[in-house]
Amino acid sequence: MVDNLIREVRFLAKDSGALFWLVLAFVLSITAVSFGVTEVSDQRATIATLIDEDAADRANALEGQEDWGGAAYYAFHLTHAPPSDFAFAAMGQRDSSPWKHRVRMLALEGQIHEADTRNADFGLVGRFDFAFLAASVAPLLLILLLYDLRATERSARRHDLLVATAGSPIQLWLPRALVRVTALAALLLIPLWGASWVAGTSSDIVLKATVILVGALLIWWLIVELVSRINASPSVLLTSLIGLWLALAIVVPALSKAAIEARQPLPNGGEILLLQRETVNDAWDLPKETTMTPFLKEHPEWSDHATFETAFEWKWYYAFQQVGDQKAAPLVEQYRSARLARDREAGLIAFLSPTSFVERSFEKLAGTDAASMIAYEDAVRDFHKQLRVFHYPFLFRDEPFDRDLLKDLPAYIPTP
Amino acid sequence: MNIIIRIAREEWRLWLRSKVIVAAALIIVTLLAVTSVLTINRVADEQSQRLAQQVEAEKTFFAQPDRHPHRMVHYGHYAFRPPPPLAIFEPGVDAVTGQSIFLEGHRQNSAMFADTKAAADLGGFAALTPASLYQLLLPLLLIVLGHALFLRERESGTLAVILAQGQSGVTLAMGKAVALLAVVTIFMIPLILVATYSVSLGESGLDAFSMVGGYFAYLCVWGAIVLAASIILNQRAVSLGVLIFVWLFAALIVPRFAINASSAAIDAPGKIESDLVMLAEQRKLGDGHNAADPAFQRLQAEVLEQYDVETIEELPINWRGVVASYSETELTKLLNSYAENRMNLEASQSRMFDLFGLASPTIAIGSLSRTFAGTDLATHHRFLRESEKLRFDFVQSLNEVHANELSYADDMNRNADAEASRRAQVNSEAWQVLDEFRFAPDSASARISRATLSLSVLFAWLLASISVVFIAARKVRL
Repeated sequence: MVDNLIREVRFLAKDSGALFWLVLAFVLSITAVSFGVTEVSDQRATIATLIDEDAADRANALEGQEDWGGAAYYAFHLTHAPPSDFAFAAMGQRDSSPWKHRVRMLALEGQIHEADTRNADFGLVGRFDFAFLAASVAPLLLILLLYDLRATERSARRHDLLVATAGSPIQLWLPRALVRVTALAALLLIPLWGASWVAGTSSDIVLKATVILVGALLIWWLIVELVSRINASPSVLLTSLIGLWLALAIVVPALSKAAIEARQPLPNGGEILLLQRETVNDAWDLPKETTMTPFLKEHPEWSDHATFETAFEWKWYYAFQQVGDQKAAPLVEQYRSARLARDREAGLIAFLSPTSFVERSFEKLAGTDAASMIAYEDAVRDFHKQLRVFHYPFLFRDEPFDRDLLKDLPAYIPTP
Repeated sequence: MNIIIRIAREEWRLWLRSKVIVAAALIIVTLLAVTSVLTINRVADEQSQRLAQQVEAEKTFFAQPDRHPHRMVHYGHYAFRPPPPLAIFEPGVDAVTGQSIFLEGHRQNSAMFADTKAAADLGGFAALTPASLYQLLLPLLLIVLGHALFLRERESGTLAVILAQGQSGVTLAMGKAVALLAVVTIFMIPLILVATYSVSLGESGLDAFSMVGGYFAYLCVWGAIVLAASIILNQRAVSLGVLIFVWLFAALIVPRFAINASSAAIDAPGKIESDLVMLAEQRKLGDGHNAADPAFQRLQAEVLEQYDVETIEELPINWRGVVASYSETELTKLLNSYAENRMNLEASQSRMFDLFGLASPTIAIGSLSRTFAGTDLATHHRFLRESEKLRFDFVQSLNEVHANELSYADDMNRNADAEASRRAQVNSEAWQVLDEFRFAPDSASARISRATLSLSVLFAWLLASISVVFIAARKVRL
């Protein structure tokens, strides 16, 4: 077997066509991971700047404040989801979902759906990241490397002779294909390993990523192997394989996506906003009890402090902000669970398409999948809750304003 | 002429006999039909839904009760962008940007609830549109059909016979080209149908058929590349391999590479980032809610002098309304300068992306088709600008109402008791100041002139690829 492999490596070294695909794979892999690493360090730098500027801005805003309500109104708080140490390999949903927000004590639903999007063309075309390379391009390269193993020998009329002299066909074709698949996998993975080492990715994640990539290549190898047993000309084989690739990489995902989205309709996002806005705006004209009743249901601890002397009081203002969120909550929950349901179904369907499976698995490892983005949203919601918990005692007990106490304002700490 | 047609007809006869080719063509036709129907339905739904939402938003605004005018500034309004007619073929950036925007005083919001944010994630190219089928799949079909166009004659030895009969390589190439051109023409039919339908929906005919022309040119570029490969290379499998590589490169790698490269080359800060810088500046402008803010001292002196009075209480207009209007103007200037800066950076990123069209005709046709369809970044920016104008206009009209129809005394006293706050309201008829907003696509000539760069890149590709075919065909020897 070892002899066979050495022989095949020597053959491969002389096959300029195959070498071209392998070098291409290596170059593309280096390109993909370097872009990824640059993007991650850009995002980290952006976050670092934002943290500084946010703190400066908040200090500035709090300086002139004379009451708790004003302090809560003018102080924004930065929340962010830093890219993981594997995000360089799969930017995933970070390109379409926000990963930074600045929130304040007002109704959260008016703030959390803000999209800090970048150039829309980017989101449309997508990035060239390692996940894309591994999921979509690598199988094509594998097909191009393997489709004509038998067929070239057939068209060179050596096929039958080779098969007859080799003893068993396995001894002949297996080493030949194995050398190519191994070379492709190694050339794709070496830059990934290098970048992971630089980025400090845990070996556990790197191992999983390696297994996923190798597993996907093995599946595609199996597909190529089965198809190329057909006794047809190389070009017919290649055409059929490209057809299969198209079906598995484009058509199946696209059709399933359409089906999933039809099965799991989202509530109209605009409705969330509208409901929240209407509630908050109407509250100004309504008797204060109308606001306070639903508010006190959530916060019975403030029942004794829900009395008002003037037409405008901050505690009432923040209470109707919260009631705005409360009113929208069922719709928000519907929106959130529909997104999760879509993601769950997409996860199941992904077993039908190695391309989708690889891309989704990489996003999961990198913490850039839909679930992670929703988890970030949940963290922002939690943080906003902390802001309320911090401010309500001051507002409701009507304590004298003390700027020093604002040092204990909750700070957003991203979950790793 | 006759001989060219005969060569082409022979080619067609062979294609029709090949099961692979007939199957591939049928699959593509089916996909085209299915995605077209799905996209047409979806876009029609969105179109009517958004229009209804826009009308509804206006109705709700007008139906608001008597109120303090500044409350209506915060109550706000919505702008919706319905998809243009050609979005049935090329939905473009619409799915990425979100199509509705909330307009309120003192703030510029971004468009929210983009489809992609909540989409089922199945990886890279999960969205199939008629346009992406034309851009990605039809070139592949041309490759499958044509990679051996010339080679077949060489391999079977008929090339020698044809050349010996005195036919030149160019004539043979022309015959093959006509055969491919017929394929391209047939595949233009679905697009022509969609374009005609979009005209019936109100699209300009010039624009819709420029789009058809663009795609025709694009597919001709691919046809020429395929033909050139089949003339120059001398093995079927090599020709197919090389063409697949060209496709992989042009359709998958270069566009994404171009995105990474232009985002790395031109740094366009996100909204939060530029908002933070802006907030610091904004604080210097003063808070429009607080008319006693020192930033308004100068304004106060000017206004008092203008009306020749000593105190703001003596002014015939409401000082708080004056301040609100003044600070909204100043703030909007600032907001707009940041927004313009951000949009300009994005536009230059996209221009750089378009220049990568020189390395991939797929980029050129993509930009061209989004521009012609009116679903490109520039149209999104125009939507942002127009909705900003709508925002500024209604906010300022309300501020005018605030200054002229509400007395300063009543306004200052508004929180005293229920009766006082009733006096600080204005009649709801004043809400009629809101303008009707219907976002419409650019004129055909504007879109065509915006597409100049991509159009010239595409024509450069067409010229270059046809020249290569001619040069190669002239050199054909045995």
